[in-house]
Amino acid sequence: MYLPERYEFFCPVKINSGKRALEQLPFELDALNARKPLVIAGNDAGEKGLVGVIIDAFKDSGLAIGIHDGVPSAPDLRLIRELFNIYRDRGHDALIAIGGGSAADTAKVLNIAVSGKPEDIEGCAGENLIKKPLKPLIIVPTTAGTGYEVSKYAFFAGRDYASHFLMPNLAVIDPRMTIPEDAVTTAAAALIALTHAAEAYTGAGKNPLADAYAYTAIQLIMENLVNVIGDQRDKNGRLSLANANALAGCAFSNVALGVAHKLGKVMGDLCGLPPGLCMGMLLPRVLEREMSEGGYHIADLLLPLAGFDTYASTAADMKARRAAEIIHDLLKDLSAANGGVISRIWKDIQVSEDTLQDIAQRAGVNEASFDIDGCAKILREAREGR
Amino acid sequence: MDMPAYYEFCCRVKIISGHDVLERIPATLAELTARRPMIVTDKGVVGAGLINVVVNAIGGRVDITAIADDVPPDSDLRIVNSLARLYREKGCDSLLAIGGGSVMDTAKGINIIVSEEADDLMRFSGANALKRALRPLIAIPTTAGTGSEVTLVAVIKDHEKHLKMAFVSNFLLPNACVVDSRMTLTLPPAATAATGMDALSHAVEAYTCLAKNPLSDAHALAATRLISDNLLKVTLNPGDKEGRLGMASAATLAGIAFGNSMVGMVHTLGHSVGSVCGVPHGACMAILLPYGLEYNMHKNGHLTAELLFPMAGAPVYAATPKEERAQAVIALIRRMNQELYEATGGRHARFFKEALDRDGREMVPKERLPDIAETALRDGSISYNPEDLDYDDFLMVMEAAWEGRPLDTGLIRKG
Repeated sequence: MYLPERYEFFCPVKINSGKRALEQLPFELDALNARKPLVIAGNDAGEKGLVGVIIDAFKDSGLAIGIHDGVPSAPDLRLIRELFNIYRDRGHDALIAIGGGSAADTAKVLNIAVSGKPEDIEGCAGENLIKKPLKPLIIVPTTAGTGYEVSKYAFFAGRDYASHFLMPNLAVIDPRMTIPEDAVTTAAAALIALTHAAEAYTGAGKNPLADAYAYTAIQLIMENLVNVIGDQRDKNGRLSLANANALAGCAFSNVALGVAHKLGKVMGDLCGLPPGLCMGMLLPRVLEREMSEGGYHIADLLLPLAGFDTYASTAADMKARRAAEIIHDLLKDLSAANGGVISRIWKDIQVSEDTLQDIAQRAGVNEASFDIDGCAKILREAREGR
Repeated sequence: MDMPAYYEFCCRVKIISGHDVLERIPATLAELTARRPMIVTDKGVVGAGLINVVVNAIGGRVDITAIADDVPPDSDLRIVNSLARLYREKGCDSLLAIGGGSVMDTAKGINIIVSEEADDLMRFSGANALKRALRPLIAIPTTAGTGSEVTLVAVIKDHEKHLKMAFVSNFLLPNACVVDSRMTLTLPPAATAATGMDALSHAVEAYTCLAKNPLSDAHALAATRLISDNLLKVTLNPGDKEGRLGMASAATLAGIAFGNSMVGMVHTLGHSVGSVCGVPHGACMAILLPYGLEYNMHKNGHLTAELLFPMAGAPVYAATPKEERAQAVIALIRRMNQELYEATGGRHARFFKEALDRDGREMVPKERLPDIAETALRDGSISYNPEDLDYDDFLMVMEAAWEGRPLDTGLIRKG
């Protein structure tokens, strides 16, 4: 078993998962020394009934909560100012974000402001520039959550943040919040998580603790994603995926960023595609390339992907190849399970040679086997479905 | 993989692990805005020269404000109180706990008193009685076994009132643990074997008992693998740095696993043998582990079977028919005990009849088995065991574990 010479791992996120998990919120806030949380949600959370569930969870608690459920998909600094004033004027002492995406990013960046002053959000943009713990932050993931929401990353108004202090104190994964979403959203979220977990398991910074989170995430995705895409009524499957996505976010926060992540993210941005679908289609190809360059942890990836029996019965020199095949197969099964919508997106991707070069450059991958030409080649192969 | 209807998982301890990580202590204290730590340790750690290793690694970059090295092998309320006084007198602002389970428990106890400005520790015993963060505590384990560097529990004994107080709270999790292979290099073979089997019992019970969850499972599997790969190696060759790091990581992983999924009858009986006869915890775990798996086989044999993969490796797993895997795991654990017995010149006991104290006296006289069974009935850990046990069941298991013979499957209750 691989053990680095030295490693560090930090995951401050407590996980409460399962039936009536939200009803634990008053108790958990008390443990965080907070009594008056401000709930932040996207502008579609209300109509999906998610805000109502949170309100119900506080019904018997005697606690007063504030709710802002108008976070748009691309919020700006004005929203932070507005929420900062609400937080301060109404005496809030903690933040709860429902779902991933912009609501979680808003809560994280707002947390920088309310833990200090609004101007801090400029000075703290970048890597590891937050120097002390922030106010209590709780994330309530939904099916669309990619795991970013529990990670150390935040993206807001053109700024990127990375700090362990941005990770929430608690993630509450409740089946009432992991509601059915459309197949593309569900698949894209899970494929981001799968990419993060697989690259944590095989890449730089790998360590036994991050491995445990990644291993669990990969297993849960492999056991549930195709089923859920085929039948969104699979409640247990959706809960399992939400767990997987959150755990992948924890692993991802403790390792270096991988190539499929970097390329997929830029490709999604430049081509207007869900980044998860980009990362997913790139992942097996990146692994194949790493394999041919001697990437030696890829064989181990077969274990969480396929389980003890398949791992044990696959010849040692075939394990890495088999791992990549299984991810290719997963992508095919996803397309099949959902009547071809996902595969049509993949098929319809029109990436010109110029854009492709642009992605390769902007992704900032700087590894021996992945120079700009190498990256462009992977992107070309993915585009052509090879 | 089964997703439990409800589970919680928490390990907010920053984990710093490797061959040369003690040097990270000053930076870690600084991150916690601590400047005046008190070192809590015991005479054994000092005698092994390990305090010097830590002090040298810190290299004058931190004002070590107090060093308390009189923690007894069994945590003691009086010592906790007196060390808390020392902490206050010297104006310390944080704790460095360097040692095994008792040192960690003691440091956690001191931390409750100095953080809560309490005089009566009892007021904070039980589950979730603590309501806020304590002073910074960094745990530096010198055994690879207890996992206390990542657990939320502390046990403090009041020897005057014959009371054992248990404290359970996420606030008892250390802020960081610094797990350095240098700290276990001098651990003698018998202690290495016993503490290593303690870690294995954490991993195995976490994986096979009732409160498991997918994330604790992954920690348990990794720990089991590392112990199977390294325990015999480091017992035979204590200076094996790689092996020591493997065991240290295993103990941390196993600690996280059982801290988040609880344990079962192996611990129930182990606590009881410890409290009735004073047998070291790790030795009890080593002896009892195969019996716990045998007893619960009809309930969790499918889970025990899966452990053959990390214990024996993929080829053996694949070559063993499915229905024989659980028995193979039990046989492997017994073989581990046998090999450790040989590697320690007979000091690693394989069954209770063999457990001897320092003067060579039998530690578990057969006539004490009923007391042990009686004590086990009052231990809370039994509620996470897959199959029930009453007094007769406990006694039946203890008799077999005393003799060193497998359980008579006909005598196991099947609820």
